[in-house]
Amino acid sequence: MIALTKTLKYVCIGRITLRNQLAYVVDFLVRSLFLLLILYIFLQLWQTTFAGEGAASIAGYSFRQLMWYLIVTESMTLACPSLCTRLEEEVKSGDVAFKLVRPVNFIAFHYVEYMSEVAVRFCVNVILGGMLGLLVLGPPDDMTGFLWLPLTALGGFTLNFMLNMVVALSAFWVEETRGLEFVYNKFLFTVGGMLMPIELFPESLQRIVRWLPLQGIVYTPAKTAVAFEAVRLAGMLMAQAGWIVIFACVALLVYRRGVKKLNVNGG
Amino acid sequence: MLMEDKSLQSAPNVTVISEYAMPGKYKRLLLFVFACWKANLLGAMEFRLSFVLTAGMMLINNVVWIVFWGLYFRRFPVVNGWELTDVMMLWAVSAGGFGLMATLFGNSMRVASLIAGGQLDVYLAQPKPVLLHVLISRMSVSAIGDVAFALLVYVFFGNHSLSGLLKFGLALVIAALLFIFFTLIVNCLAFWLGNTEGLSFQLFNALLTFTTYPTGIFRGLGKLILYTVVPAGFISYLPIGLLRHLEPVFLLGAVGVTALLTAGGIALFYTGLRRYASGNRMGLRS
Amino acid sequence: MESIRVTELGKTFRLKRKREGLAGSVRSLLRPDYVEKAAVEGVTFTVRQGEKLAFVGPNGAGKSTTIKMLTGILHPTSGHAEVLGLNPWKERMKLAHCIGSVFGQKSQLWYHLPPSDTFELMSRIYELRRSDYVQRRDELIERFDIGPHLHTAVRKLSLGERMRCEIAASLLHRPQVIFLDEPTIGLDVVVKQRIRELVNELNREEGTTLFLTSHDAGDVERLCDRAIVINGGRMIFDDRVELMKRRFLTHKTVQLVLHEEPGSLQMPGVQEQARDGVKLTLSVDMGVTSIEAVLSQIMAAYLLVDVTVEDPPMEEIITQMYRTGVHEQEEGVG
Repeated sequence: MIALTKTLKYVCIGRITLRNQLAYVVDFLVRSLFLLLILYIFLQLWQTTFAGEGAASIAGYSFRQLMWYLIVTESMTLACPSLCTRLEEEVKSGDVAFKLVRPVNFIAFHYVEYMSEVAVRFCVNVILGGMLGLLVLGPPDDMTGFLWLPLTALGGFTLNFMLNMVVALSAFWVEETRGLEFVYNKFLFTVGGMLMPIELFPESLQRIVRWLPLQGIVYTPAKTAVAFEAVRLAGMLMAQAGWIVIFACVALLVYRRGVKKLNVNGG
Repeated sequence: MLMEDKSLQSAPNVTVISEYAMPGKYKRLLLFVFACWKANLLGAMEFRLSFVLTAGMMLINNVVWIVFWGLYFRRFPVVNGWELTDVMMLWAVSAGGFGLMATLFGNSMRVASLIAGGQLDVYLAQPKPVLLHVLISRMSVSAIGDVAFALLVYVFFGNHSLSGLLKFGLALVIAALLFIFFTLIVNCLAFWLGNTEGLSFQLFNALLTFTTYPTGIFRGLGKLILYTVVPAGFISYLPIGLLRHLEPVFLLGAVGVTALLTAGGIALFYTGLRRYASGNRMGLRS
Repeated sequence: MESIRVTELGKTFRLKRKREGLAGSVRSLLRPDYVEKAAVEGVTFTVRQGEKLAFVGPNGAGKSTTIKMLTGILHPTSGHAEVLGLNPWKERMKLAHCIGSVFGQKSQLWYHLPPSDTFELMSRIYELRRSDYVQRRDELIERFDIGPHLHTAVRKLSLGERMRCEIAASLLHRPQVIFLDEPTIGLDVVVKQRIRELVNELNREEGTTLFLTSHDAGDVERLCDRAIVINGGRMIFDDRVELMKRRFLTHKTVQLVLHEEPGSLQMPGVQEQARDGVKLTLSVDMGVTSIEAVLSQIMAAYLLVDVTVEDPPMEEIITQMYRTGVHEQEEGVG
């Protein structure tokens, strides 16, 4: 526990000094512009789609709901840094030697680092995306779902962290993990419901996807926010928690295996 | 064999063995270009596993997007005149054009960082046209996956008649040239504004992103931008305006804009190069 | 026969003055403040074909700037230059066919490929006839002894091996002048010497003009017969290397590690510079005595554990030059 608070302090200090640099801020702005660009494109796409269908709602989503859905998913996705790049650098530079602490501490340290960066980027994205949404779409009809967003998003980000960590830990065996992470992200985009709510998938695919952990990352928070169904909330939250626990265990196991291999090979 | 140039005074023991002043200049230029491409490919294959993985990843990435569009068009068969086949060909043209740029002229995206790092010197010291030499000196391995993807999509979704093949070829050429020279132009900003790596990349990224969405979904201001500031429209309308049925007005516009950007890009680069060679950029180069 | 002729060559850079802090950065973006720096001023000299010239000076003296102007990479702000009768910045491509260049800091070899692949590419860049190229290539491989390294990726070669390949690559097209910018930088003494020998041999057999920049006095001493010293962008010396050695490379530094602490050393021409237990640093006046004499005298009295003999750094030589009043341009045509 002491180690955790220590690492927290370390990370917080690190973040503050980082934020003072102009270059960091510029990078931030540029990323944010990309968010607006993507949202603009989706706005056009779905406007055209709804106009073509001539219906007020598709698969239970009105146009406004769908757009707010995308604002949430995009804000979340663009907030996540690349764990693979970080870990790859650590393994290559041998920095891992310094971090070769107990698996829990290793995972916890990276979790804190990850979440602090995510928190900042997500807030910026939500503000920007939210402003665009309010300007162009107007506020969502039902705000209750949004009250749950902090919790569902926390769950979503944590789950993404765990999955991403498992992929990143393959750096102990494979040289180039960034490709794998890349593919993982693409799966998240499609099957994970980032580009399109799962309800719009064909039935057969929907049934398969419901069993995958990916939906807990961006679909659960976004759907809960825009199309809140109290009945399903508990189930979705439990699914998130369940997957988090499972993949946390997987990550710990993989880490332990990886460290063993590293020690055997002399680092 | 001595060089046919009276202005040079050759030293007694030195014979010059270049074919420089002899006829066949363009053939030798082509040989040079192919030699560069070959060297790039060899360099990439040095890391065989990484090569396959990287190219493969790009292929998968593109397939995943196709899957998304597949799902979308399952639900909404026609969107403003666009059908699934059109979007497939859109991806083929866009990925193919980008792929050709990044493999054959792979330094297009890196010109800004080369300028900022003073790395054009090596090219200036060698007897080949600087722009061409710079552009062909790098090959993006992942983009090979894009080219493979484009060809696969053409095989599965494209028009295999002779005219279809020719039209697809033309579409690829237009897309590739637009990518190369637009990217070059935004990278040339570094000649005047210092290290614009980030900015140049984002502008290039904007072009790339826009080319992967059907023009049919854009209206008003958006459409205007697509055909002016960020000429993605000339690439993304190709599936409808060239491949499906030839629209002469559009094609003329596309070819015209391509020619304009090509000429403009070359001119801008050499203008900037003069400035580079005068050395008045920020900071002293070592 | 002249290979290089330079008249009043000058280069002035306009640099933005960088200011402190965030507010300063913004201000310098909106209203930039320029500072003019004369990197090179009034440089004049002529080089005959086959000469070996060292262009030396401390860091930032203007050596790289000058060499870049002579190879067409940089355009001067004043003066004229002619290399092999061609204007380097106006007839860049034509000149590039007749000159070779090796930049110690930037490589012309492709990093992930074996040198043989770069050589092939060079044959296309310089438009060499196939048969001539093959013959020339084999000649150079033998001369520079790079046969064993020819098919190893450049990134796996040691710096010395890489430098030999770099120089060989720059000679493939039989240039009449070769520009070497800090070619021995970062190399150890043995490797440096080998490269100097190889380059000397080349000059002897093919009459290639050598234009070398360096801030290593050893390069000057052992490789070139003429030296031009540049400091603060201006030429302060232009004459034969022997003259320079006689007048300015007068002292060498000898660092000794003895087995026991020495007493005070009284030898003509030897001055003690520093002492730290068994370590001793001496300055030896080459005009009065020789390194051999000093060392043999020391070894007669003490047990020697380690010895290092160093040339004085270029900065010291230049300071010496100023002290003895040689800062006006000497029109010494070697």
